Amino acid sequence: MAVATLAHDAHGEADQLYLETRELRLQGFLLFLISDCVLFSSFIFAYLYMRNSGQGWPPPGIHRLDVPFAAWNSVVLFGSGATMHYALENFKHGHWMRYVWFLMATIVLGLGFLGGQAYEYTHLIFTEHVTWAGSGIFGASFFTLTGMHGFHVFLGVCYLTVLLLQSAAGVYTRGKFFGITAGTLYWHFVDVIWVVLFSIFYLI
Amino acid sequence: MNPVVIERLGAIIAGIVVAVVSFYSLYKDWKAIGVENNVFKIMLFLLGLGAILAILAGLNVIGFSEPSKGA
Repeated sequence: MAVATLAHDAHGEADQLYLETRELRLQGFLLFLISDCVLFSSFIFAYLYMRNSGQGWPPPGIHRLDVPFAAWNSVVLFGSGATMHYALENFKHGHWMRYVWFLMATIVLGLGFLGGQAYEYTHLIFTEHVTWAGSGIFGASFFTLTGMHGFHVFLGVCYLTVLLLQSAAGVYTRGKFFGITAGTLYWHFVDVIWVVLFSIFYLI
Repeated sequence: MNPVVIERLGAIIAGIVVAVVSFYSLYKDWKAIGVENNVFKIMLFLLGLGAILAILAGLNVIGFSEPSKGA
């Protein structure tokens, strides 16, 4: 009886501790996202400054980027944002299988976006001969920014895969799922950064 | 069919689906309170905006029409 009471108290304390630290974790994660936002912003503003101080855009001799393909690939990534949001919602409401399917769809769409980016890079490098070091500001800024974003997407895919495995192992419960919330926030952040990159590289 | 047409159609159709889903989720979560929910609202709005941009690019309303030689 005493052991059961102690275990119950310990469990209650752990729950209390989780609730207390959850807000701190959320704030810490949001600060991380803000710092990442600052990193991207510095590169984006440097790119815009250099672009506007140059001699027309794209520079002479470089083909314009393929907008229809980029639009399609962007929608793949934006779609993954929607599936991730529904994964979190389904987890919150206890729909386990729907959560797993939506999370897996998010991972597949994220990989699809990375595949599209790899195809675009291959086309640019081997057909258009646009490289990071050999095509001036255009090549350097394009590959740096989209590469940095692609690396974030890759890390996100790894993170979501870990979430899937942890969920299968029962790490998250309906009351404790900060990891999934953080994963959703991160994935939305990656999507939103792409909205900006898609606009500045392909649309304006 | 021309691959460009397929890409444009894909961007338009999938873009409409994503935009509708994003704005519907935003509408559903509008009254949710708390820091994370407010961040989600901003993210969902920007996601919907991105989908609209992709639709407009697919429709050739914005962006370059075809990959062409630079100036």
